[in-house]
Amino acid sequence: MNVTVHWEKSWKEEFMTRIERDGPWSNWELYELALESAKALTIPQFDGLQAPKHLPHITILPHQYDVARQVVEQMNGKAILADEVGLGKTIEAGLILKEYMIRGLVKKALILVPASLVSQWVQELNEKFFIPAVAQRKSYVWEQCDVVVSSIDTAKKQPHRDIIYEQTYDIVIIDEAHKLKNNKTKNYEFVQGLKKKFCLLLTATPIQNRVEEIFHLVSLLKPGHLGNAEQFQKRYGKLRTLHDDAHLKELIRKVMIRHRRHDTGIEWTKRHVETMFIDFSEAERNVYETIRQSKPHFSDTSLSHITLLREICSSKEALFCTLKSMMERHPDIETTIGALLQKMNEITEHTKAKKALELIQTINDKVIVFTEYRATQLYLQWFFKQHGISSVPFRGGFKRSKKDWMKELFQHRAQVLIATEAGGEGINLQFCNHVINYDLPWNPMRLEQRIGRVHRLGQTKDVHIYNFVVRNTVEEHVFALLYEKIRLFERVVGELDDILMKLQSPTFSNHLERMIAQSKSEGELKIKMQNFVEILANTEERTHAAR
Amino acid sequence: MQQDDIQSFLERFFIATHCPILERSDGHIRVQLTTEMDKQLMNRPFYWHYVERIGAVGEPLQLSLITKRSIHEQGEYIHFGSPRLHQIFSIAKMNGRFVRLYEQVFERSVALHPWLHTNILLSYECDRKQDRLLSLGIHLISGTIVESFYDVLKEKQWGVTVPDYCFTISPLIKPMSGLARLEAFVERLIASETHEWADGARARWEEDLALLQHFYEGVEEKQEEYENEKEALRQRYEPRIHISVINGGLFYLQAK
Repeated sequence: MNVTVHWEKSWKEEFMTRIERDGPWSNWELYELALESAKALTIPQFDGLQAPKHLPHITILPHQYDVARQVVEQMNGKAILADEVGLGKTIEAGLILKEYMIRGLVKKALILVPASLVSQWVQELNEKFFIPAVAQRKSYVWEQCDVVVSSIDTAKKQPHRDIIYEQTYDIVIIDEAHKLKNNKTKNYEFVQGLKKKFCLLLTATPIQNRVEEIFHLVSLLKPGHLGNAEQFQKRYGKLRTLHDDAHLKELIRKVMIRHRRHDTGIEWTKRHVETMFIDFSEAERNVYETIRQSKPHFSDTSLSHITLLREICSSKEALFCTLKSMMERHPDIETTIGALLQKMNEITEHTKAKKALELIQTINDKVIVFTEYRATQLYLQWFFKQHGISSVPFRGGFKRSKKDWMKELFQHRAQVLIATEAGGEGINLQFCNHVINYDLPWNPMRLEQRIGRVHRLGQTKDVHIYNFVVRNTVEEHVFALLYEKIRLFERVVGELDDILMKLQSPTFSNHLERMIAQSKSEGELKIKMQNFVEILANTEERTHAAR
Repeated sequence: MQQDDIQSFLERFFIATHCPILERSDGHIRVQLTTEMDKQLMNRPFYWHYVERIGAVGEPLQLSLITKRSIHEQGEYIHFGSPRLHQIFSIAKMNGRFVRLYEQVFERSVALHPWLHTNILLSYECDRKQDRLLSLGIHLISGTIVESFYDVLKEKQWGVTVPDYCFTISPLIKPMSGLARLEAFVERLIASETHEWADGARARWEEDLALLQHFYEGVEEKQEEYENEKEALRQRYEPRIHISVINGGLFYLQAK
């Protein structure tokens, strides 16, 4: 026989003692109740899920049920849960964790999430799933508590790291796992060293830029599933044929589940996207043109030139920060910068900020403003306050408690939350349904992350997205490409994943930056962009054909 | 256990543990806990410690439990997943592990035969799991083993003392060796069965192991990581059957 048998001896020993001492003995009713209790807790079959009947108060959506079932029955407890943003990956992970705990296959669990989400996870696991999860606050928690939630940043530091490495985890769950796409990082190395039986990686964007990213994620989960690094590089690293892709896709399907909004069959609230074009004031235009024409002066890289252009589209405060540090590094361009600074002084008010203010006043409800720049964030906060609008800032760098507090303030006190890019992830704000993209990210995936903060399960109202674009600037070019030609907003994110993966473009935003930087005229840029769009369209066609 | 069964289970539990039921209606009960139950259920060790230290008499709490959502009473809603119910399950399991019972017969001069009965839980585990319950009885005179013995027992009336005018026959087989025979019976049963679930687990294990070996091939410096992963695979897939006794005891019953 192929199985080891283990007898639990404790009953037998205790029974012997009771016979020797002639008791104490229970009565028939207690005997029956004990058996009935045990019966209620038995697992009748390998297949199926027990968890739902323990969780009658949760509405488990069909796609969430399927995910949990597939992970337990077919994927042997190791999976990348890659549903699109807002489809309830946390519920899926909770369901799987609960299932394993009910079955007695998981006792010790480590849950690594962004710092801003620690308390939310703890609360959901306790209240929704009756799983006694604890937030890591003291170092003894690792050893004494069975289900611990922590941020990777805390966990990887000493003394925690060593203690964690001594533990054997039945399951490790990692939220926002796309941060582990690079195998050279400390975080990656840390997770690789964990002793784990089952593992769930949660990410809405399993591939952001390169196909290797998925290799690294899968290798964390199931080393060898996609071969070793060298083979993978050889086979998929360069141009690939369709056949190879189909094969890779099939392999990935064995370890990754991805649902798109449209295949959940759920009635989603609508997205209304509105683009607001803004015309620079004379002073702003003046600064913009000065930077544009002084390209040769900012010769260290053409990228910094583009950065400056993007920044003035956001605020002169953002621009000023970069100029200041440039001046420290390159004293030789002081005169150019000096002249620029003088022109900047003439800007008294930002047209964009005014527009945002007007919009917020008209909306007269909660609004999230996303900006790429911290300086802009500070400026906007000050500016809104001047006009009697309360706002709270939100940044990735905030401590967990501060993030919770800011969310709380936003929900109950302030009208506006101003978030920088890093703050876009890992916070759920379904109670708000207006998003202003004060400046647009150049990586389309990040845009989806932003919108996903509000357009997710639990959102009851239609979601309004306002994109701010300054006319006749680099912003408009990028907008034209990303959001009109590629029609990003109408697309399902997943499709774009596929296309980008086929393209193997180094990174999407790098590609953009280079196109803009290397074009000598508007005309040239337009042609390049047109080409790019055609390549995308071709790839897309092939992707569809391959399905 | 269905939602409708929960209330009667709770009532029986509190009656069996001597907690008076103060109020009851369809979907709601209010119970006065005993000191003992308060200690087991209410999680307030400091209170009891304090009371005992100063030599006072503690006041056990009341518990109001709701089993139907439509009920508008103050109290805890109890459903199959509630931590409270699971707490009660584990107390019930602890309190009813060992018995010695006598069939209540009303005729005179009846000989009661000794049986050893155990409810046994078999857990088949790999990366997945399934349980199975066995209820085995062994006649401690003849050594006859009867399956589903609980079905026989539950038809009868049981008491903790020998009924008047009846007598018990002493076991020829000692309870300990009776138990050993039951264990051997279970092992024979397992050995006689096919275990496709275990074969499947071993196949999955081998498959993953091959991938793992390939991944770390020629990477000397990652030996420790490899060993960790390998051990994790063993823990995940290695098929094993975990056997424990839920409860059991000596039953004296009328020979038929």
